[in-house]
Amino acid sequence: MEDRINELTEQIVKRFKDSGFDVDAKEVSKRLKLLIFEFKVPESEAVRTVTNYLMKELDISREQLVAESPLVKIADITTPGKWVSLKAKVVQLWDATSPNVSQVGLIGDETGIIKFVIWAKAGKGEVEEGKSYLFKNVVTDSFGGRMQVNVNRSSQIVEIDEDVQLPPRELEVVGALIAIQQNSGLIKRCKLCNRTMTKDICPVHGKVEGYDDLRIKGVVDDGENYYEVILNEDNIRALTGIGLNEARKIAEEKLDRNAVLTELKTRLLGRYFRVVGTRGERYLIVREVEFLKPDIKTIAGEIL
Amino acid sequence: MNGRKREVARRLFAYEFNRSTHKIGGEDERSPVYVLTPTGMRCNRVFVVGVLLDKEETRPDTNFWRIRVSDPTGVFIGYVGRFQPDALETILEVEPPELVAIVAKVRLFEGETRNFASLRPESIAVVDSDVRDYWVCETARLTLERIKQMEERSSEDAELAWQIYNPDLEEYRTIVRQAVQSVVAEYGVVEEAKEKAAREEEKEEIEEIEDIDEFEEEFDFEEEEWDLSDILGE
Ligand SMILES: [Zn+2]
Repeated sequence: MEDRINELTEQIVKRFKDSGFDVDAKEVSKRLKLLIFEFKVPESEAVRTVTNYLMKELDISREQLVAESPLVKIADITTPGKWVSLKAKVVQLWDATSPNVSQVGLIGDETGIIKFVIWAKAGKGEVEEGKSYLFKNVVTDSFGGRMQVNVNRSSQIVEIDEDVQLPPRELEVVGALIAIQQNSGLIKRCKLCNRTMTKDICPVHGKVEGYDDLRIKGVVDDGENYYEVILNEDNIRALTGIGLNEARKIAEEKLDRNAVLTELKTRLLGRYFRVVGTRGERYLIVREVEFLKPDIKTIAGEIL
Repeated sequence: MNGRKREVARRLFAYEFNRSTHKIGGEDERSPVYVLTPTGMRCNRVFVVGVLLDKEETRPDTNFWRIRVSDPTGVFIGYVGRFQPDALETILEVEPPELVAIVAKVRLFEGETRNFASLRPESIAVVDSDVRDYWVCETARLTLERIKQMEERSSEDAELAWQIYNPDLEEYRTIVRQAVQSVVAEYGVVEEAKEKAAREEEKEEIEEIEDIDEFEEEFDFEEEEWDLSDILGE
């Protein structure tokens, strides 16, 4: 615990020193101890209180205290209670559920995405989705087992010109199609909500009219990972020449809609594919798919 | 589903598969069973591409088939029955020799002298030589990576594999190299590859007969149990 006090003391002293002001480390340490040990104040609050006290004492404004916490990448945020600065893009804003919160959502840089909270008391301007900012002096925190960053009164948000890149959401996979699930092939969807119907029943709307669609829910596996993929009609036609009309024809000839699934399994299962798609919560939504055309001589040459 | 993660389909050559005798897990009905291989890989599901050399009903009219599938390093033995309808459908139609891609669960039978690994295919598809050749290269690359990890003793499973198998890694490296060379040498000449594999098979069959008798006895005894556990477990 003493170590932690020393660490926090150093942080505060350094922040003032970097701004051109000398503060007494003993005084800082004493006040931190009082707040944290005696009054059980959370670390971040204690640091802020001591900082505010010193600013008043030295009669300096927040703007004069320019030195900022170390610039870090989101992937490096692993422990709560650290003062950091981030260059990040606002990925998504959620509805704030508490009046104490001004804005809440996700920000990201090229290493990851993290939740952020701007407290109403912080009195900061609003951020916009898709814009990039320098988040100065924000405090890391952990909530429900996940890391987040909090923007408080000591923080600063500055819009920047740079367009911060986000981690790649589009993924390229080379692997074998090792499974095609049952509810694939020529399926029926609900006319009202587009959900897949089983035996002409929509899980939400019951027995309603449906329309035909062609899709594959499958698993692409590269021996180290697996990816659940969804292929749409275009993807399937590109691979097999079977589109919605051809699929209907197969079903009519065989008097069995399942014949389409059997045909697709025969043509696609166990083959290798190159798949490019967007990773959703569970499925890789495929944009492009092709049979792998391996250059065996080159690949083998690299191994030998 | 139920939050249970899907098992990745591992890649390994028949040579390594047939030397895998150690079981991990399966203490209770819900925990998955893995076979630990000599290069320190845990596998529960595998993806194999090779030549289906023959299929044979274990007893007449049981619709329970024993299959033999060869890659450039050896032969996988598998069993297909009515609980694997997709695989059974293909087996009833296909006439060996034919190149097939198999997705299978791994089974380990306890024999008198040692354990035997075999495949229980989930699906079987007839494929062309491009798929086989890529599979050989991919399996070679992944096996070499495991050999490296064995040398570095970089995982618990590598450590365990040293204890149990104490493998000669040079032997595995040689097998991998030969496998890759075989596809490069015969690239595009599928018929020739089929014949060669079939010839090698006959030779190996004679050597294996003793083991297989023992293997089948064990199998008859436990067949019913596995089918049941499968219905409950999946
Ligand atoms: Zn509906």
